[in-house]
Amino acid sequence: MSGGSGQWKGRALRPREDERFVTGRGLYLANLNLPRSLHAAILRSVHPHARIISVDASEALKLPGVACVLTGEQAKAISRPLRSLIPLPVEVPHYCLAHDKVRYVGEPVAAVAATSRYIAEDALEKIRVEYEPLPAAVDPEKSMAPGAPILYESLGSNVLWHDCFDYGEVDRVFAQAAHVLTERFFIQRYSSTPLETFGCIANYDDARSYLTLWTNDQRPGQAMPIIAHSLGLSAAQIRFITADIGGGFGNKRKPPYLVLTALLSKLSGRPVQFIEDRRENLMALVHACNGVMDVSVAVAEDGTLVGLKVRDIADEGANLLNPTVHSLLKLGNITNCYGIRAVRFDGYSVVTNKCPSGANRGIGKPFMCFALERMMDSVARRLGRDRIELREKNLLPPESMPYTTPTGALIDSGNFPATLKKLLEIADYRSFKEEQKRARAEGRWLGFGLAIAVEPSTSNQSAYILTTKRRAASGAGEAAMVRVESDGSVQVVLGDVGSGQGHQTAAAQIVADELGVPFDEVQVSPYFDSLVSPWMYTTGNYSNKFAGTDVGAIQGAARKVKEKLLDLGAHLLGVPRETLELADGAVRSRSDPQRRKTLAELAHVAYRDLLALPAAMEPGLEGRYYYRPALADLPDDERRVRNQLFVSNAAHAAIVEVDVETGKVSILKYAIVHDCGTVLNPLIVEGLVHGATAHGIGAALYEEFAYDEQGQLLTTTFVDYLKPSAMEIPDFKNDHLESPSPFTPFGMKGVGEGGAIPAPAAIANAVDDALAPLGVRLTHLPLTPERVWKAIQSAQGKT
Amino acid sequence: MNTPELVSVSVEVNGACFDATVEARKTLADFLREDLGFTGVNLGCEHGVCGACSVLLDGAVVRSCIMFAGQADGAKIVTIEGLARGGKLHPVQRAFLDHHALQCGFCTPGMVLAAVDLLRRNANPTAGEIREALAGNLCMCTGYVNIVRAVKAAAQILQAERAG
Repeated sequence: MSGGSGQWKGRALRPREDERFVTGRGLYLANLNLPRSLHAAILRSVHPHARIISVDASEALKLPGVACVLTGEQAKAISRPLRSLIPLPVEVPHYCLAHDKVRYVGEPVAAVAATSRYIAEDALEKIRVEYEPLPAAVDPEKSMAPGAPILYESLGSNVLWHDCFDYGEVDRVFAQAAHVLTERFFIQRYSSTPLETFGCIANYDDARSYLTLWTNDQRPGQAMPIIAHSLGLSAAQIRFITADIGGGFGNKRKPPYLVLTALLSKLSGRPVQFIEDRRENLMALVHACNGVMDVSVAVAEDGTLVGLKVRDIADEGANLLNPTVHSLLKLGNITNCYGIRAVRFDGYSVVTNKCPSGANRGIGKPFMCFALERMMDSVARRLGRDRIELREKNLLPPESMPYTTPTGALIDSGNFPATLKKLLEIADYRSFKEEQKRARAEGRWLGFGLAIAVEPSTSNQSAYILTTKRRAASGAGEAAMVRVESDGSVQVVLGDVGSGQGHQTAAAQIVADELGVPFDEVQVSPYFDSLVSPWMYTTGNYSNKFAGTDVGAIQGAARKVKEKLLDLGAHLLGVPRETLELADGAVRSRSDPQRRKTLAELAHVAYRDLLALPAAMEPGLEGRYYYRPALADLPDDERRVRNQLFVSNAAHAAIVEVDVETGKVSILKYAIVHDCGTVLNPLIVEGLVHGATAHGIGAALYEEFAYDEQGQLLTTTFVDYLKPSAMEIPDFKNDHLESPSPFTPFGMKGVGEGGAIPAPAAIANAVDDALAPLGVRLTHLPLTPERVWKAIQSAQGKT
Repeated sequence: MNTPELVSVSVEVNGACFDATVEARKTLADFLREDLGFTGVNLGCEHGVCGACSVLLDGAVVRSCIMFAGQADGAKIVTIEGLARGGKLHPVQRAFLDHHALQCGFCTPGMVLAAVDLLRRNANPTAGEIREALAGNLCMCTGYVNIVRAVKAAAQILQAERAG
């Protein structure tokens, strides 16, 4: 299926998006300004859980400059409930503002639109809300127990979803195993916190019931039906536009804010802009689920892993919009790079009085990888085996590819042993052991840790049938449009414009090769505009799907145009089409390149000299392509499904030093080997590998949305919620392998999560190794100095 | 609420002079963005931690989100828009392009200005000095590796320019 190499694909071209950014000309949402625009501010709950007795906005409305105030009761009266992406057992009507109860600190209670954000915030102070505080459900396990405070009474419990998936003969395998090890792991709430916060501008034209939305929401295809339903509009009555998105990482999706801003615009009759401030972003946009995982592995006498049982509790916060995603995606990497054939996943999705969970780089997979790669080290210790040799023994061999895991996931390509081997070379593992010995003699605690990971990408919507028992959507896909304009210039419009991943550059590389035109002459629009851009439910920037779906859409659209150019060229040149090629900006004869028609000449005919076209040919040179990868399947009778379609892989190694007096962990060296198949642009791929790894390091050591026992969020600024700076992220030593996928147009696979998935495990394994003589074992993320110090104290019997 | 207190502000931004009367509580960042149109000043946290809104004020890097516009009265300010001269990018900007030292671009204006400030103070910084100087500027995309490379490269370009 390979499209062959081209002149532009594979080259380390400088991303063209970068040019506008280094000069401060990014097309970010906050830089758009509509005449007459108002600014919105949101009053948020200060309680984790409380009944709303009354909301009085009368004083706020008197403030000069305030155009309107929307309360929860009003929102309920003038909009329809937000439709959950994942159908719930019982419908729980919820709106863009809380109306009966508040269920987390930061939940929107009322909103103001005023002539400036300053005035809008003044007005918030004048809104009086009377609450009746209720006990909060904070810890996910306690929240599951009878008698816990209930968030949604109609659900009758805080357990939103529970299911147990069995693949293979799990009980028999465990009963017969030579060794069974069980451990418990905890992951914190964190998020990738894109530097640009979420925002939108809504312009509701009441005269013709037409809504125009400018936003940085990264998943238009999914947001559109939710907004339409809530506002009682059809899709044809909404125009949805995005421009430059200042980072996404899954976080930037918030249909409730789009609905809320649209309602304020409708009420005020003016455009309304809402842009989160950072505090709002940290307390109320999305957090990755915190969770608890009990993992048991069954191991044969020779060290072969034969069985795996996982009991996973995902704390969704107050999420009703898209729960179970953190649970379901773990089925895609539950056996990681290993040949385990008997697997049980017992999953719980629990609501608590915390910020709603949502997508965040890797979604669930970092925790799954963390638990299993920590277990690998435990097994090695228990069996007295070398942890690298144990992994080598269990890795799937390259000749097993493509390999179907017990859960139905298909690993399309990869050479895991070669990835690990290369990692050990570049990490200089052999010389580390000596270094560690010397350091210990000097009283320094150095450790080496590694983790390997599969990196599944491109979500298959069918997988949600497993959790919902309903077929709300299936498959994967993206759309794109390529047009040769009337002067012969080339224009590309994407369904997924990206949010920093260089999609516009990559698209130009593909189209330049397909149409035989120079890279610089391919214009790619930075805008998604539902009026212009082809799109569908799956359209947007998520799931590392560029390689899996977007490339196929871009190639498909370019090929439609190419076919037409060749047909038209053959007609105008009077030669058989098979004798022609597209090169140097023209259709030309292969044997006689001087016989040619340039794109400009062909476009002149296609758009202006219409009578020169073949009689049956439609004018114009435009190709739209809605692509879906053939690999997407439906769950089978055994509940196996390819929940993500294309699988990259990575191996990470960290060398750390632990200060046993303070518990502080410093990374001395960090090595990465990554394999995402064919590389379209090495500069972009390397950048994504670095960035994803930095997110993994943040999750491993620093970042945590900390709630106290009453449910108050303690980390609402970047002073308390610690992002790693250039001082904390080390230089990376990285290398690549290329195992092309047999199932994507050019063999490309997803890139962007590969760093975030294994990094926490690699670092924790290194910390354990450093502290091995003390018998310290860390099972809670992040590995803050306090946590590490306490573990050391506890291992030494001091506490 | 009472009538807001107004202050007059005269600033030179990127070589052009501006006189304005603004609310005393208006931040320098909002003043630069909303009143003067310098939207290269990005707001990432509005509490002085992320550095996206950094500008050079009388030659020093400041966070424009935690300064009032009134406090800048009489100052000379350089924003990212004022760094390129006569259509020619500053060497730091060129190096950021060459090394793909950015992804989403939102931190870039502040990051570039912090690097410019560093290279004025220290013409040949080590990687460690670069990291320390940029520690007040958060980037959520790149993992900083390419940024450090770019600043090193820019230092070399600037030194070569001075020598030449």
